[in-house]
Amino acid sequence: MANRAPMLRIGQQDLKCRQGCGFYGNTQFDGLCSKCFRERNDKQRKKQRASEDHEALYTGASSAGGTMEHKSPQHSLSLGRAKPKKQPEKEQPHNETPTASSTMPRKKFTVPAVLQKTLKNKLAVPQQPRVPSATEKQFMLQLRQLRIPDDAKRKLKSEIQRLDHEIRKYMNNNSTKNVDELSDLVQNAYTRVADIVHNDQRFEIATNEDRDSAIDFFEKVVMTQNHNLLFSPYFTTDEESDIKVQKRIRQLSWITAKHLDCSIDEVNAEARDLVYNAISELVGIDSYYSPQEKLLCTVRCCRHIFELLKRSTGGPASADDFLPALIFVVLKANPVRLHSNLNFVNRFTNASRVMSGEGGYYFTNLCSAIAFIENLNGESLSIGAEEFDALMSGEQTYSTPWESALLACESLHLISENMKCMEQLQKRNSVIATGIKDFERELIEFQREVTEKVDTVMAKAPLTLLPIKTPPFLISQARAHLSQDGVEAVAGHYQTNLLSGGLGQHQLSAKSKEKELATHEDSHLEAAHTLALKDTSIGSVGRLSPLHQNLPQPDQLFASPIFNYTPFDAVSLLEESSENGDVLMLGSEFQGGLTNINYDFDLSDQSGENSVADESKLNLDEFDPLVQQRQQIASTVPNSAAELSLLDTTTDSLIDCDVPLAGALLPSPLKPEVANYRGFSNFDIPSISCNTGDFSSLNQDVNDPGVPAPSNK
Amino acid sequence: MRGIEGKVVVLGSRGVGKSRLVIKYIKNALHRTEEPTIAVSFFTCNIILDDVKIKLQIWDTAGQERFRAVAPMYYRNANAAILVFDLTQYKTFTEIKSWIQELHRNVQDPMILTLVGNKMDMQSQRAVSRDEAHLFAISIGATYFETSTETDQGLEQVFLSTALGLVRLADEGKSHSLRSFESSDSLFYTNSNTAFSYTATALAARNLDSSAFRLPYVHIGIPVDGQDVKPTGEGRLETPSWAIEHIALGQVERSRWCCY
Repeated sequence: MANRAPMLRIGQQDLKCRQGCGFYGNTQFDGLCSKCFRERNDKQRKKQRASEDHEALYTGASSAGGTMEHKSPQHSLSLGRAKPKKQPEKEQPHNETPTASSTMPRKKFTVPAVLQKTLKNKLAVPQQPRVPSATEKQFMLQLRQLRIPDDAKRKLKSEIQRLDHEIRKYMNNNSTKNVDELSDLVQNAYTRVADIVHNDQRFEIATNEDRDSAIDFFEKVVMTQNHNLLFSPYFTTDEESDIKVQKRIRQLSWITAKHLDCSIDEVNAEARDLVYNAISELVGIDSYYSPQEKLLCTVRCCRHIFELLKRSTGGPASADDFLPALIFVVLKANPVRLHSNLNFVNRFTNASRVMSGEGGYYFTNLCSAIAFIENLNGESLSIGAEEFDALMSGEQTYSTPWESALLACESLHLISENMKCMEQLQKRNSVIATGIKDFERELIEFQREVTEKVDTVMAKAPLTLLPIKTPPFLISQARAHLSQDGVEAVAGHYQTNLLSGGLGQHQLSAKSKEKELATHEDSHLEAAHTLALKDTSIGSVGRLSPLHQNLPQPDQLFASPIFNYTPFDAVSLLEESSENGDVLMLGSEFQGGLTNINYDFDLSDQSGENSVADESKLNLDEFDPLVQQRQQIASTVPNSAAELSLLDTTTDSLIDCDVPLAGALLPSPLKPEVANYRGFSNFDIPSISCNTGDFSSLNQDVNDPGVPAPSNK
Repeated sequence: MRGIEGKVVVLGSRGVGKSRLVIKYIKNALHRTEEPTIAVSFFTCNIILDDVKIKLQIWDTAGQERFRAVAPMYYRNANAAILVFDLTQYKTFTEIKSWIQELHRNVQDPMILTLVGNKMDMQSQRAVSRDEAHLFAISIGATYFETSTETDQGLEQVFLSTALGLVRLADEGKSHSLRSFESSDSLFYTNSNTAFSYTATALAARNLDSSAFRLPYVHIGIPVDGQDVKPTGEGRLETPSWAIEHIALGQVERSRWCCY
């Protein structure tokens, strides 16, 4: 019967005892009825005992009894304290060696040598890590916390040790082991302990709850301590059935909630979470040692399933819904060592625990779920037998809605996530686009505004540059100098003067040198160009045309920063010029040159002098080429070139008048005159009004270069 | 105080309202207006009758045909079975017969059987007559009740009769799996249920003649002689009889059973 292929329906004949006694048999009893099974077992046991006794005569003292006596004092001591408990455990292998060797010949006939070895390994190897002192200590603590009298605790402790020994003795010494005998042994111990706890006078004052917890504790300690011996013992077929069931569940991976007709909403994320919770609890059963904990795990798993069902059905779930759901969860979880765990609980937990109570109920459900899975066929899934076979063999793949739903769900989720992302990006993109447009518009507007403003400003205040008016006394003095000291002297004098002006001037002068090396025509053109670009209105440039030749040089040399600002505001130009003058510590001559321009701006509207200046400009223009010639000549002399060029810039207008007189060698400006030029720059700032009088007179002087300076002073 | 702990399985085809029956009963017994928070199919329920505390462990089962093969796991070691069928579906009634057969085949210990026809509020769609069901109940040695989970009719009787049957079973000591114990710790229960204990006694005494609570236990596998129960079950199923009497006596009292 056990070898037959599993069927959903078992025929009447199959259920009968194999002995043919007419009673029903049981798979667990090897197909026998309980009576026949017991008879057979007893017979076997008797036979075995007889042979054992026979052997014992030869081996002398019963080795089993010997080891028992040897160990028991240690054990009784050991539980009293946590630490020494470990000692006997470790010693056990040593104790065992004589036992094993002495029993070797005896067992030879009944158990093959290989099994002997596995037995020894099984017993010896896992014992070292088995009893960690931590759990031991915990148990001791728990024992102390039990609310029963002290001598009751002592009694309980001794009972624990007794069962411990019994189990070990059985595992070590019985040649033919039967797991049912072992189970009986444990169950008897349970009843004994229960009897003691309920009837012994030492427990008299304890309440029922305390008694129950004492029994619980007893079971827990023994089971945890002996877990490695009792869990899936090597002489059972638990492991094979574990593998079998695992394989089968793997084969049944195509089963869905629909097949089982259970109301799990496979697509719902919440439901899926609960399914996963239940699965993790179910898998967790294997990780606990004591049956109680395993049962608790089962209960938790089932609670999750009920929660799940409650949500999916809307009302309280019934067992009609529950069992299919549990089967579904078991199929999806495929827990390890399923049979071993179930059998462990079935055999070694307190029988009443499995028979009754919530844990028992759910455990029964789990057992029936597994039984259902094992006996599953097409009929029970309401599909055809052929289809079932095809699905089982993997010929036909079942596109499980569960998985496809999961996949679809995942991808849908992803899609929606991506859509959201895209939407956000789009929003940002549009924001950026509008921003760009706005900015563009603003830019255009700004450009328009600026040009408009500039135009209006230009229209309001056309740029008219007046020739720099050199005070006549300077010219005369310069002339005087030239004539007196000659080129070298003048150059030296002037150079020192300039050097005191600052480094910036040096740089500038160097720059100017380079520039001046270039052809002057080009520089002129460039200057003109820049002027035009700088938005100085054409009109003004045109008007400035006479000055055109005047300006380039200051532009090239120093004024370029200034001219960059000029297009925006006349005022800014004003400020810049003064600033620049300060920063660069420009020579006063140059400042004077600039201030001339500014001055013209300011006063163009008011004073009639401008018109006069305009006229004079014409004169200056005529001389311009000559100036350039002079510069070229000057550039040949490196030292003097700087001075000259500097001088030129300032004295452009000055020289304009002078050129005809001074010729190629310009008279070097004089020290006192520098001070004068400062005055010029100051004059530009309108706040200093006291100077105006002087300089206006100076201007007048410039207008008429011929007028001697001393007269002014 | 004596205590009895019995396992009660609820059997029946799918959709006949097995779970509903249990849940409703538990809910009523606990005087709760809401449904149990955790919807489970396992309940324990303490009933105190006279001086006996009966702890019922109610196991709900899956009724689908496909799970018939694993059903023996559930009613193993059961002391009582509540067989539920739908009064409006004849098929569920015939399926009860197969359940009974299965019980006979798999259970050795004596068992209290209670046959329950559910959905009695749907009189118009009634498919199983009371007489037929009653006769069948007698033939299998069961007590027959009709209930409605909608109107809460007859629910308490089902469980009370089961509890009484268990007491009798324990008295005769024929069931090995029925667990008896001395409940010395039930101070709480005795205190809170003294009144009910009295009520139960009175009720049992009062109803003894009308055979409403003379419950036969059945040795499964042994034919039952139907002497104990005659098909005169009129009246006891219409309304909870003790409730009416209490109203008459002016001592309306909800049964205060401790269930959890």
